[in-house]
Amino acid sequence: MIESGILHIIIPVLLVVCALLVAIFKDLIAAAITLAVFSLLLALEFYLLQAPDVAIAEAGVGAAITVAIYILAIRATKRT
Amino acid sequence: MRKTAIVVSLIIFAALLVVTAFLIHPFGDPPSDMDDYIIANTQRETGANNAVTAVVFDYRGYDTLGEATILFTAVTGVVMLFRRRKRA
Amino acid sequence: MMMSKIVRTMTHLLVPLTFIYSVYLIMHGHLTPGGGFQGGGVFASAVALLIVAFGSQNIHKSLKEHHLSILESSGALIFIGLAFGGLAAVFFYNFLTGSSIFGRIPPTGSNPGDIWTGGVIPLMNFAVGLKVIAGLSAILLTMALATSLKEVEE
Repeated sequence: MIESGILHIIIPVLLVVCALLVAIFKDLIAAAITLAVFSLLLALEFYLLQAPDVAIAEAGVGAAITVAIYILAIRATKRT
Repeated sequence: MRKTAIVVSLIIFAALLVVTAFLIHPFGDPPSDMDDYIIANTQRETGANNAVTAVVFDYRGYDTLGEATILFTAVTGVVMLFRRRKRA
Repeated sequence: MMMSKIVRTMTHLLVPLTFIYSVYLIMHGHLTPGGGFQGGGVFASAVALLIVAFGSQNIHKSLKEHHLSILESSGALIFIGLAFGGLAAVFFYNFLTGSSIFGRIPPTGSNPGDIWTGGVIPLMNFAVGLKVIAGLSAILLTMALATSLKEVEE
């Protein structure tokens, strides 16, 4: 279980890094894609915490649908 | 002055969050007896192997009804906002 | 507007697998992790892939919003009807357990699982799955159509 212990440290650190990158990026498309990476890491963390139901919901809705809706909304804006 | 106030309030907030994180009960040790009842009786009472689905659709059916209402309202709002008008 | 041929070929390969996986998640929701909401989300992500790859105008030729709204309302009505079906005891009572439809009782403890169990839960999974599929697909399709029309105007 030592690998699981290491992963429980690595994945939250990567989550915080991804969240900071979402706030830092000026390009909206890059920020949306970083949000998808955030959702996938969060799904992996849920799976490691033995909640596969929430992991499937997070990977399907959080990583695919939300980012698709964000990108559709960004497409309607003007890029300067 | 304003910046120091912001930093100090953020530090206090973070300290409160850390204290709360140490006060949460340990992982895998739930504080109530309801989950023991559900784990012991789900398969006999509802006949479903997946206890999570049994809780969502049987023991806590009202919550799922509220979730369905939320989804219905969201879809209604989005379709009403973004529908295509005939004159365009 | 369509994307390149590579993206369209990969979409042709991936979309049937995703549809099968989502139907598996919905239909085995009472045995394995998953359920109506998760399966509907996976299905709608496949619809998002289709919209991105083939363009919303082409998808709109075969997938109309009012069909999706009919599907969503029928899912909600099935769900409410099943909830009212147990009204003889209490609202949301599992009245099919022990009957001849989805009525087998599995042994307590770890067992391989039997799909003909669960009482009213598989039917509610089906209803919620129908509702989530139609709802999220309608949201994606309407937003994609609105933004693509704005592109045409400019």
